[in-house]
Amino acid sequence: MSGVKKEFVHLLANYGHVGFTFATSIVLGFAGGVLLDQKVFNGKTAPWFTFIGLAFGIAAGYKTLLDVVRVAQADEKRQAREEQERHER
Amino acid sequence: MEHPILFISVVLQKLGLPVPHGAVGSNFIEQICAPYMTYTWFVMAFLFFVIKVTIGDLELIPGRGQNFWEVVVGSMDNFFAENMGRELADRYFPMIATFALFITVANLIGLIPGFMSPTASLNTTLALTLIVWVTHHVIGFKMHGIGYLKQFAGPIPLLIPLMLPIEVISNLARIISLSVRLFGNIMAKETLLSILFLLAGGFFAPLPILLLGVLVSVVQAMVFVLLTVVYFSQAAEQAH
Repeated sequence: MSGVKKEFVHLLANYGHVGFTFATSIVLGFAGGVLLDQKVFNGKTAPWFTFIGLAFGIAAGYKTLLDVVRVAQADEKRQAREEQERHER
Repeated sequence: MEHPILFISVVLQKLGLPVPHGAVGSNFIEQICAPYMTYTWFVMAFLFFVIKVTIGDLELIPGRGQNFWEVVVGSMDNFFAENMGRELADRYFPMIATFALFITVANLIGLIPGFMSPTASLNTTLALTLIVWVTHHVIGFKMHGIGYLKQFAGPIPLLIPLMLPIEVISNLARIISLSVRLFGNIMAKETLLSILFLLAGGFFAPLPILLLGVLVSVVQAMVFVLLTVVYFSQAAEQAH
């Protein structure tokens, strides 16, 4: 594969999943909250666990964003190190 | 969705085997004869026999077939080693490389009329994803023992009640996002192609989508493999 194409696929692979993972986290948190409210506590605690689950879901979504940033930073660091090694040789 | 003609299903029907009309059959034989199952077997047989025929016996001076596979396997090996280190790449190369080849061929085979992508069914992609998800936890426990759980606790002990649900949710989100993304992309490609074939197949309407389909197939296989590699290396590295 040529350089530009490789870069393109790499970028797609690294950042193409960001939106989907973010949304999935929120939906999962929300679904967990609803499940706790309706099935475990039979609707007695009605809106509260839903809200808490939603909040945790949103927080988890942002955490996945931070993960992406961390992976990108590690990538950059590795590339810089390789560049340095190439210069030293 | 109205299914186009699928060759294996037609052959199976001629042989007298029950082919389900819905997505999933009602009894065991029908479930085995469902298109996504038969085409999964087809892809596996295709990979096995093509590699067997093109390589044959390994030789010191490679022929054309062996040359091709050496380039494919060599570049994959380099890619894995770059992203997760030599040691992990050596240990898990067979598994991830098999996934890469299987998903690429399974995605691309749907572009040929009469075939369908097994990855256009959520069952296939979910199975692949669950294998990856379980394996990355197994790697984590193997590397760090019970201390692997600390990765889910966050940096400060006081924040554990806050961090634990967040980490668990974002970890479970990996299963859904990994499986549904592959399934969604490939299913969309298949559906779009079959609709365009039905509407204006005679005017070459599906051609641009076929072109895009090749790109989507390769990129989605790459994404799946790269995310697998990232998850494995994250599980293996020291707790942050």
